[in-house]
Amino acid sequence: MSRYLLTHSLLSSWLWTMKESPYEDMTTEKDSYAEFISSLNRVPIPTNAAMQKGIDFEDLVTDILNGQGNQSSNWYEAATQVANIVRGGLLQYKARRDIKVKGFDLLLYGRLDALKAGTVYDIKFSGGYDAGKYIDSTQHPTYLELVPEAKQFTYLVSNGSYVWPETYRRDETPSIIPTIEDFLDWLDMKGLMNTYKEKWLAL
Amino acid sequence: MIRNPNEIQEQEKKLRILIAGYPGIGKSTLALSAPNPLHIDVDFGIDRIEPRYRKPFIQPASYDEIMGDLIPSKLKDFDTLVFDTGGKLISLMSLWAIKKDPKYGQRDGSLSLKGYGFVGKEFVRLMDYCFYELNKHIVVVFHAIEDKDGDNTRLRIKVEGQTKNNVWEPMDLGGFVEMYGNNRTIGFSNCERYFAKGTRGINGVIKIPELSQSTSNDFLLKLFEQYNAIAAQEVEQNAEEMAAYETVMAKGNAILDSIEDADSANAAMPKIKALKHALTSKQEFNVSFNAKIAELNLEFNKAAKKYFPATPAQEDAKGAE
Repeated sequence: MSRYLLTHSLLSSWLWTMKESPYEDMTTEKDSYAEFISSLNRVPIPTNAAMQKGIDFEDLVTDILNGQGNQSSNWYEAATQVANIVRGGLLQYKARRDIKVKGFDLLLYGRLDALKAGTVYDIKFSGGYDAGKYIDSTQHPTYLELVPEAKQFTYLVSNGSYVWPETYRRDETPSIIPTIEDFLDWLDMKGLMNTYKEKWLAL
Repeated sequence: MIRNPNEIQEQEKKLRILIAGYPGIGKSTLALSAPNPLHIDVDFGIDRIEPRYRKPFIQPASYDEIMGDLIPSKLKDFDTLVFDTGGKLISLMSLWAIKKDPKYGQRDGSLSLKGYGFVGKEFVRLMDYCFYELNKHIVVVFHAIEDKDGDNTRLRIKVEGQTKNNVWEPMDLGGFVEMYGNNRTIGFSNCERYFAKGTRGINGVIKIPELSQSTSNDFLLKLFEQYNAIAAQEVEQNAEEMAAYETVMAKGNAILDSIEDADSANAAMPKIKALKHALTSKQEFNVSFNAKIAELNLEFNKAAKKYFPATPAQEDAKGAE
């Protein structure tokens, strides 16, 4: 029986398409549907400036954890705060879990920035932040499904100067399964199921 | 004094709570149901509260005036400081900040980016001062505004700029007051309508009892008691889980330290299987164990169910991966 890989990024890309309805507004700058089709076809996404900042910030956190952080960096203080929170945890942990949804065998996969003592951490670098920014994200529901032993998920959001932890406990996090069911139904309805099965076949 | 986390007793912990809701829904009355409150009526809205629910108050015209009143000798009779509203408090802070240093302001009188950062930090500092130094419960009232997010309408607290993030930071609880039919409720769990903050068993949507001639305005007083009762229980449970986690991680690390070659890896297997895992210790230990096996260049033979030094062929295959 074949099983298929499923990530939070793919679900997130799909939900973004659902939310944007790009064809209702031709002025929409980004074609979220085209972006989703690229994700579905596993076309690598070029790193943009915002993504690069996020990578640089995470690298600085890692360097600090390894005792090599550049103290002259403008982000040093904030990165140190993040490093102190995740210190001693498992970094960049690749979590996998087999699940069955609507008769499909799926391999849920995610790379956790840190896992420590029952908390999953994800480091975010964001120029703009509002408390509750990630309330609709598929990331914490997916990752809490991936790590059933975890009690909570914390986004460590920073703009380089401040760090805002945003925590979601398991009991207030909706299950990701209904979203996955809708996703599979939608793929079927749009005739994209074969593409998904071909591109996301788990080895 | 360094204390063991297992000794934590939080029965008498002071609380910091944010209450948000539409104007006129009864936030101020609710805020004044906290234990022995001083009403810091920054909004000058005490006349909108029914007289029987009013409490001792100050109506500060400046942030300096607030700071002048918030000194221990003036606050002996109070257990709670109610800031009503937090939005107006931040407006007074903003004026104070710009007066203190013009770089915190812009020509039109609004805050500069640096000013927002400064005021955000000052808000957290004030909360810390009231909580840690004055040892008071804190209730901060905010007006809520609607925010369109696609097809959804969200409630958010009404505060300008990035300070809205700083106000959540020190809070133990944050709830939105809403009407459900004829019932006034306060919601402490994140949901499609708003981002809230609940801890220590104070979650979900709680009905606020209707006030009448025969009832006391004591909702928050009872909520704080409930919080502290659950806190003691939860702290105990968390301490047990953390202790189990730390014990198993220490045992696991000791086992890892004992592994030096295939023989010691095989000898360690029964001990590893006997580990009683807690929280996410299993995942954390397994990754460390696999790293150690790779570092020692060992391979697991499924037929023999044992570790052996990797053969040259296996090493070549690894190198080719």
